[in-house]
Amino acid sequence: MTNVPQSAILAEEAEPKPGPGSQVTATTRPSWRNLNFGPRMWVALTIIFLIVLMAEVGPFVYPYKSSLKVGSLYDEPSAAHLLGTDNFGHDIIAVLMNSTRNSLLNGLLAGTLAVFIGVLIGILAGYVGGWFEELLMGITNIVVAIPSIVVLILISMSLQHTNVGFLKGIGGLALVIGITSWPWTARAVRAQASSVATREHIDIAKLSGAGTPSILIRDVLPYLASYVVMAWVLQLASAILAESTLSMLGLGPSGTDSLGIELHWALAFQAVSTGAWWAFLPPTIILTLISFSLLYLQSSLDEVFNPRLRRGKKKNLAKAAARRAETARKLAQQNEKVEVLS
Amino acid sequence: MGLRRYLARKTVWYLGALVIAVVLNFLLPRLIPGNPVDVIVSQLGQGGLSSEAQQRIYEDFSREFGLDKPMWQQFITYVVAIFHGDLGKSFANYPTPVTSLISQALPWTLALQVPAILLGWIIGNVLGAIAAYKGGGWDKSVFTTSLVFSSAPYYCLALILLYLGAVVAGVFPVGGAYSLGTSPAPTWAFIADASTFYWLPFLSLLLINVGGQAVGMRSMAIYELGSDYVNYSRSLGIGDRKMTTYIFRNAMLPQITGLALSIGAMIGGALITELVFSYPGMGYLLFGAISSSDYSVIQGVTLIITVAVLVANYLVEVLYGFIDPRIRAAKSGEK
Amino acid sequence: MRASNVTAVYAADSGQDVPAVDNVTLEVPEGQIVGLAGESGCGKTTLGNALALIANPPLYTIAGSMEIDGQVIDMTTLSRESNNLHRPYRGATVSLLPQGAMNAISPTLRIRDLVHDVMAAHDKNVTKAEAMDRASDRLKMLSMPTRVLDQYAHQLSGGMKQRMVTVISTLLDPKLLIADEPTSALDVSSQKQLIEMLLQMIEMRIMRGVIFITHDLPVLSMVTDRLAIMYAGKIVENGRTEDLVHTARHPYTAALLNAVLDPTEETRHKHVLGIPGSPPSLANPPSGCRFHPRCPFAMSECVTKEPAFLDEGNHQVACWWAEKNPGVRVPLEVTTV
Repeated sequence: MTNVPQSAILAEEAEPKPGPGSQVTATTRPSWRNLNFGPRMWVALTIIFLIVLMAEVGPFVYPYKSSLKVGSLYDEPSAAHLLGTDNFGHDIIAVLMNSTRNSLLNGLLAGTLAVFIGVLIGILAGYVGGWFEELLMGITNIVVAIPSIVVLILISMSLQHTNVGFLKGIGGLALVIGITSWPWTARAVRAQASSVATREHIDIAKLSGAGTPSILIRDVLPYLASYVVMAWVLQLASAILAESTLSMLGLGPSGTDSLGIELHWALAFQAVSTGAWWAFLPPTIILTLISFSLLYLQSSLDEVFNPRLRRGKKKNLAKAAARRAETARKLAQQNEKVEVLS
Repeated sequence: MGLRRYLARKTVWYLGALVIAVVLNFLLPRLIPGNPVDVIVSQLGQGGLSSEAQQRIYEDFSREFGLDKPMWQQFITYVVAIFHGDLGKSFANYPTPVTSLISQALPWTLALQVPAILLGWIIGNVLGAIAAYKGGGWDKSVFTTSLVFSSAPYYCLALILLYLGAVVAGVFPVGGAYSLGTSPAPTWAFIADASTFYWLPFLSLLLINVGGQAVGMRSMAIYELGSDYVNYSRSLGIGDRKMTTYIFRNAMLPQITGLALSIGAMIGGALITELVFSYPGMGYLLFGAISSSDYSVIQGVTLIITVAVLVANYLVEVLYGFIDPRIRAAKSGEK
Repeated sequence: MRASNVTAVYAADSGQDVPAVDNVTLEVPEGQIVGLAGESGCGKTTLGNALALIANPPLYTIAGSMEIDGQVIDMTTLSRESNNLHRPYRGATVSLLPQGAMNAISPTLRIRDLVHDVMAAHDKNVTKAEAMDRASDRLKMLSMPTRVLDQYAHQLSGGMKQRMVTVISTLLDPKLLIADEPTSALDVSSQKQLIEMLLQMIEMRIMRGVIFITHDLPVLSMVTDRLAIMYAGKIVENGRTEDLVHTARHPYTAALLNAVLDPTEETRHKHVLGIPGSPPSLANPPSGCRFHPRCPFAMSECVTKEPAFLDEGNHQVACWWAEKNPGVRVPLEVTTV
């Protein structure tokens, strides 16, 4: 349902490359002090921080409530309402802040659930191996093959008619998204876990009588921490986009705001063709920013954890090259002298 | 792993996935509490249908759903109907068969999706490989642009393109697939008309697919650049151009699997793109069906999407088996 | 063949350059195999890459020239054109037999396609059939099966793959072959086969000289005519293999040879001694003689002044102790139990 590039994860799991290079990523337990956080990560973290700030603090400071009718259909931006009103006459900024909050909450719940299931299945499959791995990965491959949008549509249709209050709102949707989007994580974690499982410290742990759960948590999981963090970031982005996709189709949580629901109404009330840009551009931009900053964060984390992807900084490179050329010149002169002397 | 074993394995898994997808498609709508037909008909009633018509529809649906029978019998009825190409009748446009609604929508979706996915894959891979190989400024600009496009949700880019191209600039039509008053026909005039409607949605899908593939190909190719064979080929005096083809060929293989895996995700986003552009494909049909609670259409659309995605995945994986020499040529153990 | 004053540096992330090979001069006499030994991280492989003219960022060869058959090649890789200047020599004049040939052949390439690509890289007009003929002639000459040409790398066993890579590396009759730990990933019988093949190739004059890089000293003393010992980016001793083995003049050479288990009658009662301490950081090497912090014979000048090369006929050594004790073998503890 989303176009979150899974390639970053795929890069690790699709290529069962033997040889020294492929082991680098999982063999070293990164020491946090040596990590080199580039400027990209700060850009991403700043955007995320600002969005979270707007969503969490904004509603307390902003004078209008998102449910308050303050105008009519698509009032243009004015001094009182900087971004005008939506099709219900609600203040767009108020709705936007509330929507962002709900969308982030949904992403957090669904993304965390997906990572939890994915890590559990991946680590078990990768560590235990054998027929158990075949079985779990078979299930995973089936879930991957069936387009999750279809399952999401079918389940959320039922959710809309359910009588259980919890399932009707954001929680229900997050649950559904969580239980349909774990396979990516499971695949990536399994590939790493099975490489960790063959390492010596696991044998030592086994010999010293540690039980499987303890080995998994103490000796396997720490080596996967970087992957889990990256997968979590990706799952957050993908869950937020999944929610907005469903909401746009009209299957969102009823009775609340969300970025997708805002877009749903904007489409239903012809905001684009009537030129009411304030109704659809703000949620579009926020969604893009969320998704971009999370993916940017993921890709910079990837470079931190996989130094092979890292490429030198331009400034340093130029300086170093100049210094190197100078040394080379001196050496050449020296060697000439030696030749003349001999 | 030999080719035959590989194909057999894939076939079994995909058949399994198909069976499970059909079961889910049958089962999930029946999770709706109460009698689905009651829900449907009561909603139809709000639309102002006469009570006599409601009664007729109610009986029709009850018979079709086989609600009086146990679940397993309902399932058999469902599967048998599918094999006869019968996906039931639309609730909202009673008694139009679902299949005829889908057969009107499907060509539009295919015309939009297939070129966008294939072209996007090709252009994206070439761009990604060049970025990885050239490095420096090229790499940085291609990578960042691709990341922006690939992370922009499909509909966000679509909305922005639509607003800028159709509303602000007024160059493209605001929505639909062809001008009002014309009807689909295989004439040049119609194709010319339809193509003006085609560009924006096509472009919005293409850009995002290119971005996603380029990001993936770039990191694949960077991994390949560090491989032993690159260093060895260099030491033999093999030129850069030839080496690029080696890298490309090896980095492509995982990208092919990547394509298979992401077709499902692409379809989802593309459905919404149709919605933004009011493009009369499957996504638009689905949107309409959801807003009128037209369950039989929803179920039909989801089934067709699932089958299409599974078939596409399967074909890509079979193709992969023929391309990758590690699968094609089984180990023969030369000592 | 002679390579003079080779210096190669790694550009570190910090912007600092680490000299991994520091002003090294090495000579390979016609038809001989020269061994290059040292602990890991001493710059052996880096020197191999520089000599094979494939230094690639972050590695830069900043000084050095190579003289082969009267032809002088500038080895530096700082200018943009150097890659194109060096390309024609690679594979044809100097060739590399890489470390861990397991992944040296692209997995999607048939051996015969690689063979053709290699030949076409040096002569555009070579047809596939000609390349096939040459490769199969060569294989027959070395009594190897020719059907491997139709296969992919993953279809070959480890030993076969390594021998095939050797054949490809020497296909164009390079004057110098640089074999970088070619035996390290092989089982004993494959090692033997490969070494026999290399000796056979030298005999057939397919290549005119070999530099054999390894830390496997027993293999080295078995195959090489001469030995060069490398420590922290510099060559410290250089001479005929038997001279070095019997009369090591540099304490490091002595320690290195001592660290190897040698099950002959006379050494059976010796203690195996390690070398105390660990190799120095190349970014910040010790002053004077780089070995002094680990050397049992270190004197005051060792700390301050770099020793010059002492030419003792066919045997060179850079060591203050050796200068003061001419012709004496390093008396490293040989404790008899």
